Formats: sequence, structure tokens, C-alpha cells
Amino acid sequence: MKTSENKSLTKHDLFRANWRWLWASQLSWNYEKMMAPGYFYTVLPFLQRFYHDDELVEMMRMHDQFFNTNAFTGPFIIGMDLAIENHQGYAAKDTVAGLKTGLMGPLASVGDTIFGVIIPTVFGSIGAYMGLKGSPIGALMWIAVNLLIFFLRFSLLPLGYYQGEKLIDSAEGKLNLITQSAILLGLTVVGALIPTVVTVNVPLVFQTGKVTLKLQSVLNEIMPSLVPVLLVAFVYWLLGKKKVTSTKVILFVLVLGIVLSYFNILGV
Amino acid sequence: MITWWQIILLSALAFWMIIDQLTVYWVNNPLCIGMISGLIMGDIKTGLIVGATLQLMVLGVSTYGGASMPDYMTGAIVGTVYAVLAGKGTQFAIGLAVPVGLLMVQLDVLARLANTFFQKRGERFINENNPKSAGRNAWLGIFSWGFSRAIPVFLLLLVGNSIVKAILNAIPVWLTNGLKVSGKILPVVGIAILLRYLPTKKYLSYLIIGFVAAAYLKIPMLGVALLGLALALINYQRQSEAQPKAAVSEYENAEGEYEN
Repeated sequence: MKTSENKSLTKHDLFRANWRWLWASQLSWNYEKMMAPGYFYTVLPFLQRFYHDDELVEMMRMHDQFFNTNAFTGPFIIGMDLAIENHQGYAAKDTVAGLKTGLMGPLASVGDTIFGVIIPTVFGSIGAYMGLKGSPIGALMWIAVNLLIFFLRFSLLPLGYYQGEKLIDSAEGKLNLITQSAILLGLTVVGALIPTVVTVNVPLVFQTGKVTLKLQSVLNEIMPSLVPVLLVAFVYWLLGKKKVTSTKVILFVLVLGIVLSYFNILGV
Repeated sequence: MITWWQIILLSALAFWMIIDQLTVYWVNNPLCIGMISGLIMGDIKTGLIVGATLQLMVLGVSTYGGASMPDYMTGAIVGTVYAVLAGKGTQFAIGLAVPVGLLMVQLDVLARLANTFFQKRGERFINENNPKSAGRNAWLGIFSWGFSRAIPVFLLLLVGNSIVKAILNAIPVWLTNGLKVSGKILPVVGIAILLRYLPTKKYLSYLIIGFVAAAYLKIPMLGVALLGLALALINYQRQSEAQPKAAVSEYENAEGEYEN
């Protein structure tokens, strides 16, 4: 197909791609090619518009290759891909394949940090803090934020389509900076989380003659929430050991709680 | 007692929550799932407390690159139901929800494996130039994902009802109390995993600021989040201003190598 005959994609086209990616990106996620079916499904109607016969089969094969990125930031790649394929057609096959593999990593790390770690950390902390007291406000706030992100995420694909390659270079430094700043927010919240949600105490009391010594009062004088801090430090250290998985640590802590409770060292 | 329509609704919730995680991302966390389960069971507060505790355990656990993680959303459903039915306190139900969440990892792996089947079928249809059928196989995985969560929840609620009560009555007091303590300290794991993931050593001061704000100054969590936001914004602005200079400071030295 002649390249110059292709008209620009309409807003409706871009929304359609967004919509298909939203639902299909991970539904057939598999160990072999991960998000490949999702990417393939997203661009399929455009492939059918751009190509025919053998070219179509070749392009379908290319888009069914291994692909894995963050579901939120991935549409940026799709937008760029559609812009290139719409202009250059079949000739762009290798360019697009390279673009996909080249960008999926960087976009995954930004997306995973912000949408996979920082936002769940901040709103999970606030929500759990309120939830432990029986208040649904934090949970509802989180849902509201998710809805906001849900609408905002539709803007990345058009951004990729209209801005294309030139954006990724100028944005890279900025994206790193945003990620770094978000991490600072996350760490501050986690710092507050330790004393507020890990509320165990030490019921142990020493008695020598007339003097009774409540261990918890002594600990309180050293530092509030000393026990939670020590527990976090201990588990943090454990996780750094080789062959220690998070599942093993969870089981270990589960048993540890029972044992320490049995010997009256920890109480609720 | 749990009624049949509650079991159906909770199984449907189990189906939806994993699809939600893969698509729209509205309620895919133990906290919200606990809240909704509580709503279905008529005890939203219990659901919130069970969900919140499990939420703290998964803080640092996120699924990347296809790694399976403990599924505490399923744990939140089952834990909430058991907590409401048994009436023995929420911390105790969490002790039961954790093993469920851990066991669910196996079923997550199974769902991801099952989808390879759709991948293979899709490839065959592509080679046959059959876009329609190939496209269909790109979303059929919805069933392997959904049922991998819905079926275990359905079974656990259906047969679990009487069995759980029998187990609950047989458990000695020291174990019940122990599980309560475990429920309280399990969030430590989530926090520690998160700290391992984040560059904690590099930015330790922010962790300390957050701790001091909450432990000494007793600032509520939302207030600490705002404080963190302010620190993040300050960092962003300072670094943005510094960035052009940083680029200049990268120079070519005498040997012709780049240095920072």
C-alpha cells in the first residue's frame, strides 16, 4: 500500500486503540510472550486497515512477539507505533519492532514505580490507617484516585501519537526526576506507617522484691514504637539474605508472633 | 450464617477483582476488596479491618514482569467472611487469611500457564491469516484468570462454612492469642519488602522524617502524606533547576572519556 495515501488517524481511532488496550492488554498474559496478545489485539484493526494478504500476516506475526511493559505507560508506545505505521506502512516493520523492544523497558520502570509502588504505598497507607479504625474514607479516597488515574491514562496514547520520538528524549530526564520525587513521598509515608500500624507492646514485667519493672515503660523512654522499628529492621535484614523469599518471611513472622505471644514477650 | 446469594456475590467479586487488576484498576487491593466483602456480609467495619491489615502486608509486593505474588485479595474475601461468621475477632481471621493468600500463588501460576494455550492458538490463526480468531484468543484468558480466583473462593465459602466453625472451636486459646499478635506484626513484612524495593539507604532521612512526624508529633497519616508531598515538590523544583547545570558539568576529560 502506498504510504502517502493513509490519512491521519482520527481521535476516535486513538480512543479505540486505548479502549482495546485497556481491556485486552493483560487478559491473555502468558509466560511465553507475556503481553504480546494484548498488543496484538490493540493494533489488530489498524493492521487490517493498513495491510493485506502476506503483509498483513507478517505484521501480525511481528506484533505477536514478546512484549511486556507497564499497562499504564505502555499506550505511549502504541501511539508512536501507530503514527509510524500510518506514515510508513510495511517499510516500518523493523523500526516498529525495535521501537517496541527499546521502549518497553524504560516505560515499564517508570510505570511500575509510580503506579505499582508509590501510589499503592501512599493511598494504601492512608486507607489502611483509617480502615484499621473502621473508617471507609481512606478506601473510598483511593477508589476516587484510581478513577482519576483511569481517565488520565487515556491521554498517553494520543501523546505518543502526536509527539512521537522527539518526546522520549526530552522526557527521560524529567521522568526520572518525577520517579525520584515520588519515592521521597513514598518513604515519608512509610516512615509514619511503622509507628501507627504496628501497635504491639511488651507485656513482660520484672519483679525483684518490691520493685516492679514494666519493660514497655522502659522501652517507651528510649523511643516510642521501638519494638515496631526493631521488627522492621530485623525483617529488612532477613530479606537481604540469600535464599530468603518473602513467602518464607511471612510464614516465619506468623510463627514468630505465636511464639512471642506464648512467652508473653509480645501482646496486642 | 452465610446465604447462597452471599456466596454467589463473593465469588463474582473474586472473578472481577483479578480482571479489575488486569484492566481498569479500580478496586484491586485487599483494602477495597475487604470493604466490599464486608458490605456483602453486612459488616463493613470487619471487612475494612481485615482488608487494612492485609493491605499493609502487600505494600511492597507488586507484580512485575509476571512474578506471582501472594493473593491477599482472595485472602480479604475469605478472611472477612470467616471473621464475620466466627465472631472471634479480626486479627484471628487474618491468621487464616494469610495461608489462603499464600496458597493462591499456585493458582495464579496455573492461570498464567493456561494462557499459553491461547497464545499458541492465536499464533496458529495468525499464520492462517485469520485475524478474527487470532484476536479472540487475545482476550479468552479472561476465563482462566477469573475462574482461578472465583472457583477457590466459591469452594472455600461453600464447604468452609461448617469446617471453619469446627476448626475454630478446636483451636486452643494460646494459639488464638498468638494469631492475634501475628496479625499485628505481619504488616512489618510488607513494610520491609517495600523498603527493600525503594532506595531506602540513599533517602533514609525521609523515612526518619515520616517516623518522627507520626511517632513523636502524632500527625495523622494524611498530614504526613502532605508533608511528604511538600518534600517531593521541593526536591522536584530544586533538581529541575539544577538539571541544566548538571548536564554542563559532564565534561570530556584529557583522555577523551566522559566523566560526571
